[in-house]
Order: sequence, then C-alpha cells, then structure tokens
Amino acid sequence: MTKLMIETLGTESTVVNMGPQHPSTHGVISLRLQLKGEVIEAIDPNVGYLHRSIEKISELTQYTGFIPYTDRVDYLSAMFGNQAWCMAVEKLLGIQVPRRAEYLRVIACELNRIINHLIACGTMAMDLGAFTPFLHGIREREKVNDIMEKICGARLNYNYMRFGGVSRDFIRGLDKEILAFVDRFKKFLPEFNRLITGNEIFEKRLIHIGVISPELAIAYGLGGPNLRASGIDFDLRRDFPYSVYPEFKFRVVTGEGYRGEVGDSFARYMVRIEEMEESAKIIRQAIEGLPEGDYQTKLLRNPVVPAGEVYSHVESTRGEMGFYVVSNGTDTAYRTKIRTGSFTAMSILPKIVPGLMVADLVALFGSLDVVAPEVDR
Amino acid sequence: MVLALKNYFLNIKKAFISIFEGMAVTLSYMARKPITIQYPDRIPKPVPEMLPPSYRGVLEVDIKICTGCLACMKRCPINIINIQTFRDVESKKNYMTCFDIDIAKCMFCGLCTEVCPTGSIRHSTEFEASSASIINMVLHYISYGDKVPVYKPVKDQEAQSIPQNEAFRQVHVSWNTPPPLAADVVRGSVRWKPDKPEEEK
Amino acid sequence: MHELFNNLVSNWHLNPVLMSVVTLLWILMIAALVLAFMATFAGVTSWIERRIAGRMMSRVGPNRVGPGGSLQWIADGLKCFLKEDVIPGAVDKPLFRFAPYLVFTGCFAAFAALPFGYGLVASNIDIGIFYISAITTFVVLGVLMAGWSSNNKWSLLGGIRSAAQIISYEIPTGLSILTIVVLAGTLNMQEIIQQQGGWPWHWFIFNNPFSFVAFFIFFSSILAEGNRTPFDLPEAESELVAGYLTEYSGMRFVFFFFAEWANLWVMSAIITTLFLGGWQIPGINDLGALISQSAGAGKYLWILASIAVFFTKTLFFVFVVIWVRWTLPRLRVDQLMVMCWKYFVPIGFICLLGSALFTILPQSSAWNWFYLSMRLVLTALGFGIAIALIWRSIYNIRALDDKIYIKVWE
Repeated sequence: MTKLMIETLGTESTVVNMGPQHPSTHGVISLRLQLKGEVIEAIDPNVGYLHRSIEKISELTQYTGFIPYTDRVDYLSAMFGNQAWCMAVEKLLGIQVPRRAEYLRVIACELNRIINHLIACGTMAMDLGAFTPFLHGIREREKVNDIMEKICGARLNYNYMRFGGVSRDFIRGLDKEILAFVDRFKKFLPEFNRLITGNEIFEKRLIHIGVISPELAIAYGLGGPNLRASGIDFDLRRDFPYSVYPEFKFRVVTGEGYRGEVGDSFARYMVRIEEMEESAKIIRQAIEGLPEGDYQTKLLRNPVVPAGEVYSHVESTRGEMGFYVVSNGTDTAYRTKIRTGSFTAMSILPKIVPGLMVADLVALFGSLDVVAPEVDR
Repeated sequence: MVLALKNYFLNIKKAFISIFEGMAVTLSYMARKPITIQYPDRIPKPVPEMLPPSYRGVLEVDIKICTGCLACMKRCPINIINIQTFRDVESKKNYMTCFDIDIAKCMFCGLCTEVCPTGSIRHSTEFEASSASIINMVLHYISYGDKVPVYKPVKDQEAQSIPQNEAFRQVHVSWNTPPPLAADVVRGSVRWKPDKPEEEK
Repeated sequence: MHELFNNLVSNWHLNPVLMSVVTLLWILMIAALVLAFMATFAGVTSWIERRIAGRMMSRVGPNRVGPGGSLQWIADGLKCFLKEDVIPGAVDKPLFRFAPYLVFTGCFAAFAALPFGYGLVASNIDIGIFYISAITTFVVLGVLMAGWSSNNKWSLLGGIRSAAQIISYEIPTGLSILTIVVLAGTLNMQEIIQQQGGWPWHWFIFNNPFSFVAFFIFFSSILAEGNRTPFDLPEAESELVAGYLTEYSGMRFVFFFFAEWANLWVMSAIITTLFLGGWQIPGINDLGALISQSAGAGKYLWILASIAVFFTKTLFFVFVVIWVRWTLPRLRVDQLMVMCWKYFVPIGFICLLGSALFTILPQSSAWNWFYLSMRLVLTALGFGIAIALIWRSIYNIRALDDKIYIKVWE
C-alpha cells in the first residue's frame, strides 16, 4: 500500500453498546464502549435502569416498615442493609442491643458474606467461560439458604433484624447445623481452588488487568475487597468497630500480588476467597461463644424517633454500606441516603478501562463485584 | 534468554498440572449424587411438609382467634391487609365483616405476624398460590356476607388454633377458578375503594 | 463402499447412461445414510452433553422427555423447526441466508472420508486426511459471512475472531497430522489404520515420544478448529451474547449448532484414526486376512466388532472433549494467538522432525527391542495419566466425605 492510500483509507473507532441486557454485566447496567478493533478507548457507564426509589419510599413508610426495603438495596448481601439501617435508628433512639442479639447479628452477617463471595467468585469464573465453579458455589449457597430459612424464614430477603435486636431466636440444634456447614465449607474451599483458582488459563486472564493503585482506590472511595486488594489495610470491622466485632479474632485480608500485581483483578479475586475463610472463622468463634439472653429489646410497635441525623456504616461485602438518616420526630424518616460500595466501583471504570480489550472488561467488571441494585437503589 | 526458556517450559508444566487438577475435580463430580430436588413429581413428600414451620410462606388467618385489634393492618408497609370491623350497638359485641389479604402484593416480610397478640395471622408453609386471575389473588378470610365475632383472649390461656396450612387451604381456590363477579369485587377487594361509605355497617 | 458397489452391479451389464444414473443413486443413498448418521449423532450428542454437564455441576440434566430425556433433542429440533423465520431488516439477506449452509457443508463434507469400521468408509480417497483438513476450512467462510451479514458489531467481532482462530490453528493441526503421515507413509485413512495394530503399543500415539507430544498438540488444535472451550471465543456466551450467531434464530441457528456437534464426531474420529489405531481390535494382527478367511456370518461379526471398537474409542474422545469444555475457562484472543504461534507451531515442527527421524532409524533386532520397550514405556505413561486422573477424582470425593454414586441414569 502506498503512503497516499494509507492516508486516504482512515480508520474509525466503533461505538458499541454493552447494553442493559448482557449476560455478564451483573444486572441491568449499560456501558457504551468506544472500540478500536478489540481495544477499548473510552467507556461511558449508564446507570439508572434498576432505580426503584428506595430512598423516597423511606419517606413514606414507617421506620419498622422500611426494614424489608433495606434488604432489597443489595439483595445478595441483605443482612448488611438490615444491620446498617437498624444501627442508624438505634443510635437515634438511643437503645442498646443485648449481647445475644449482637452475636446473632454477626453470625447472620458473616454467613451472608460467605454466600455473597461464593456468587462473586462463581460469576467471575462464569464470565470467563468456566460454568462449573459457579454451580458448585450455588450448591454451597443452597445449604446456607436452608440455614437462613431456619434462622429467619426466608431465603433471599431476610428481614431479620429489628431495632434492638433480631426478630427470632435460634431454634434448637441450629448452631450445630451451622457448625457442620462451616466444617464442610472448610473442606470445600480447597477443592474450589483446585478447580478454578489454580487454573493457569484463569490466572492468565486476570493478572495485570485493571490495576488500581492505592492512591486511586482511596481517591475514588472504594471499599471492601476492592480497596484491600490494592494493598490498603482498612476494614470497618476493625478500624471503626461496631457491634461485637472487637471480640473476634480475624485477619484483615489484603492483596499481596499473589501471582500478578497488587491491585489487579486476580488480587481482588483472591482477597474474596480468603475473606470467606476468615468469615468461617468468625462464625465458628461466634457460635462457640454464643451467650444466653434476650434476642430483642422490647420496643413500641411503632417507635417515634427523636429528631436528629445520624450516619451508620457497616463493612458490607462490596465496600462500605452507609445509611444517612435525618429524622424529624415522627414515626417516618425525613430523608435517607444510602451509600453503597458498588456505586463507587462503577465510578472508577472510566479511569482504568481504556487500554483493555473487551474480554478484559468482562473480567474486570466481575472482579469489581458490581451489582446493579446497589448502583441504582 | 535462559530465563525466558525456563519460563516457557514452566508455563507448559503449570498449564498441564492445573488442567489435570481441574479435570480430576470435574470427573469426581460425575460420580457423586446430584443434589437436584426434582419438583414436583419425584420428591419424597410434598414440599409444604419439607419446609420448616418457621418458613415465611403465604399469610393465613385463623379467624376464630382474631381479636380485631387491627395491629397487622397498621404494621404492613404496603397496606395489603384490609380488615373491617363494626360494633353491634344492641349486643355491644364487636364483629368483623372483612379480612382480605392481597397476596399478589405481599412481600412476605412477616412484620404483621410479629405483632399479632394471639398468633391468628401467621405464615403457612405454602407458596404455590398462583392464579390465572389477579382478582383471585386476594384471599378473603371472611366470606362475603358473614360476620365473625372477635375473639376475647382468656387470661393465662393460649389461644387454640387450627394446624398450620389449614386456614390457607380452606380459603385458597385452584388456579383456574374464574374471577368473581363485579358485585363481589366491589365489596371485597382492597383494590377498589368505594366512592361513598357503605350503608351497611 | 466402492468395491461393494462394483460387486453389486458387475453382473447387471447396463449401458453407460443407465450406469451413471445408478451410480448417482448409489452416491445419493450413501450420502443420505451418512447425513442421517450425522444428524442423529448431533442430536444425541446435544442430549449427552447436557447430561454430562449437569452431572459435573451436581445437577441432573434434561431427563423428562423420553426415557432419561433421550428424546429431548427431537423436541428441541421440532421446536426450532416450527419457529418463525426471523430475518432482521438490516442484514445482508443473501449472505445471511447462505452462511449456515456453508458451515453445515464444511462439516458434513468431512464425513465423506471418515472410516467407520473395516472397509466402511463412504469414499476411500487416497488423500483422505488432507481432504478432511481442507474441507473443514469451509467453516471459516460461513462464520465470516454470518458475522458480517448480521449487521451487528458484536457479531462482526465474533466472526473476525473466529476466522483468525481457525486459520491460525490450521497450522498446528497440519503439523501434527504430518507427524503421523510420516510414520504411516500414506494419506489414506484406512491405510493409516492398517499400519497400526490392535494393542496400545502398536498405536501411533505411543510410537515414539514425538508423536505422543503431537497428540496433545493435535487435540488442542482440533478443539480450536471446532470452536470448543477453551477456545470458544467466537461464541463466547458471556461476552458477545452469542457471537456470530446472535441474529440467528430457529432453523438457521440449529444448522450452526448441528455443525458444531457433528464436528465433535469428526474431531474424535480423526483422533481415533490417526493416533489410536482406529478399528483395530486388540489381539488381532491382520483383520483383513481374518475377514477374507471366515465364512458368511463370521465375516459380518468381525466387521461389527471393528465398528464397535471404533465407536468406543471415538465416543471416549467425545466424552473427553465435553469434559474439557465444562472444566476450563476460555482464553482471550491474543493469548490464543500466542499459544498457537509461540507454543504449538515450534513444538509441532520439532515433533515432525523427530518423527521423521524415527522412520530412518535402523531396524535390526536389537533396535526392535529398544523400540518395543520405548513404546511400552509410553503406553504406561499414557495409561498412567488416565489412572492418575481417576485416582485423583476418588481422592477429591473422599476429601469432602462424599459417597461414590455411579448411577448416571437418574
């Protein structure tokens, strides 16, 4: 080809819609990509397809009636939403939660963390083409779903926590069942790792993809495994202690550049796998040290919350889930603002994606563990 | 150069070993029992019996022990429970004429069951309550035209209730039942609010 | 098939025009037979694959339609047959309509030279394996046409990726085939099988270390040719919805998928012929002589035995291909290319040269002892890998305190 031909030919970038319906954006999230061949030049996330105006509903429903809605902010880790809301209102009401109730809350939350990470790691493998680990994770999740059925009666939207404790006590024999699950889970994880984590192809797909430097992670307000995989040692359970977490011994897992770099997708994946182990340890400690006592402080059916504002946050599975509640002295909130970890993870995409290929974008999106309900509330 | 060659063969060896391990795991699952519960025909006992009694299924009301306190109606975040009571002035008794629950909208949160003083409204373990007509998704626990006296709780005595799931089964119609006539809908459903208050109270 | 036909019509003494008509009818009949086999196999494989995939994921596959779900594929095929033929408005209509047929032809035409048993091959051409390798490249044309004509950027990406992949992996495939051809001395499929023997150490895979390595290269390359995981980027379900197949529905979609499943048979049959000794029955050195010596029914029994041996070996490899699909994640496009050009091609060349070296080595009795012991060692290595896999699986089951449950017909 002569030089003149190359000048007149010209190449353009195509704009493609990784639209709202796509098998690997977890939920309805729309991403517009500007591609040059296989390489992405720019990305424009488009959110709002799953907006259900939960924050507005909190202004119309009473405080207790809003607890089921907090489940649905992130339905894969529903207990954390419950806990954050209940902690916020308990601060405003000024009531104490009995110790047994706190232990029950911790057990429920950590079980929820395990099953959420199982789905996160499983869907990451599924996006990369390995369908089997996802179903193995779902199988373990089903066992926990059965346990949750016995704890609170439901399998997905738990509505377990109330102001001043939890809604039901453990039935007899449930703690042995949970211990049996934790024991089996300890044996399940090495097999899961043999199947997919150690796989050379899986590793080669994930290392050096989407490296987030520690400064970038802090600047964008990431949290949870995304933040810790970049090397920053920060965990709300240890640094801003709430509930009875100070009584448990667990390790805060940070990324160490397992086989790639610190802050790449493989580090995020490995942080989740190791967090599952740590959660299993916490559950075992909690069950063995479960105190006797009340499971709920007695409250009015329809508490009238004194005027004030409060921000309460929990270490959710995807980052920091925070509830900022403004109350005006009635039995309905005046304004609620929910801060979720997936929203910040979505906001970092235009910064780290340019330069990746489409296949890498899928892997990166899975490693950030973004779910649509949290992004759009 | 030597390092590159060493990495080359190391890559091949790692690939082989990891693929071998992965394939051994998948092969091992060919020889394990699948965990599928083949619902609805190849299951050992019906699913409502397999579920724990604390399962949050469809709401049911044992109307004989309902005290008419309207706590559940006030607690529900989405207002799906419609109870209508009236006081008979001559006999000075309280009666209920309407207890409807719209299970099409119910989110099975269980808040209503926690405030009931006698345990009259509770969850059954049934979940197969689909219907071809959305009007039939409103369960009428008091039939049209009936009036049920409210229950007066006796001190220090637990209220005797019928077994779980029974109340639901008495009220539940099969999925292909045709929807009721408009006249019944006017009186019974929570979806239609009358323009003027009812004379018959 | 040619000799059979000649035997049948040699007594008829027809004039040339009628002869050509009869020949044409015969060819059409054989083609219809092969087509029926291919279609049935593609359908049944879809059911087998779903069942195996289900069991590997701790669940049951389709098991309601027919005994154990074996008629599921008929239900699926009928459903797709009766669907509305949706052609999106903005596609390039002639290309869109024509693409599935090209893919189907590319796959079906390969069946013409595949052996099924002793003396059972649709067309015993002397360039057998070369013809198969060439005709399966037709698929590239079909895939590119499908990707381009769909007027969909995602499909175009899938089509281009697939074209790059299939064309690149032709080279390692060709090199591995040449490794075997050098040992056999012929391209004819039936001749290649006859050069091997019944026992495993007579197979070409255990002939010398270079052909052993060539087996693995060939296995991976033929997976890439057939767009199977870990190389199924063109139809990557999680990235491109369905790649170049996105805009297809109904019967056209079924054509693509039939071609993919029938390709499983082609892949496995080629591996069995080239590497595993085809229809050679263990213990019998010269099947041809045995068949010509035995009387009426015995002859057909031996032919049936050879068919059974061939089918067992081929179905085993179909199982392995399905097994690999449901275990491994998929490679990214550039990693795929790196693997082809930097790993498979150099190693393929070395295997070819090494194999050629083995053909010119001396043949005295001492050397023959050396060759036999080398082949026995390689056989032990090959079967050792298989046994190690089974051992490790049992270890996996015990590690989780599960019980072994063999009932596959759930």
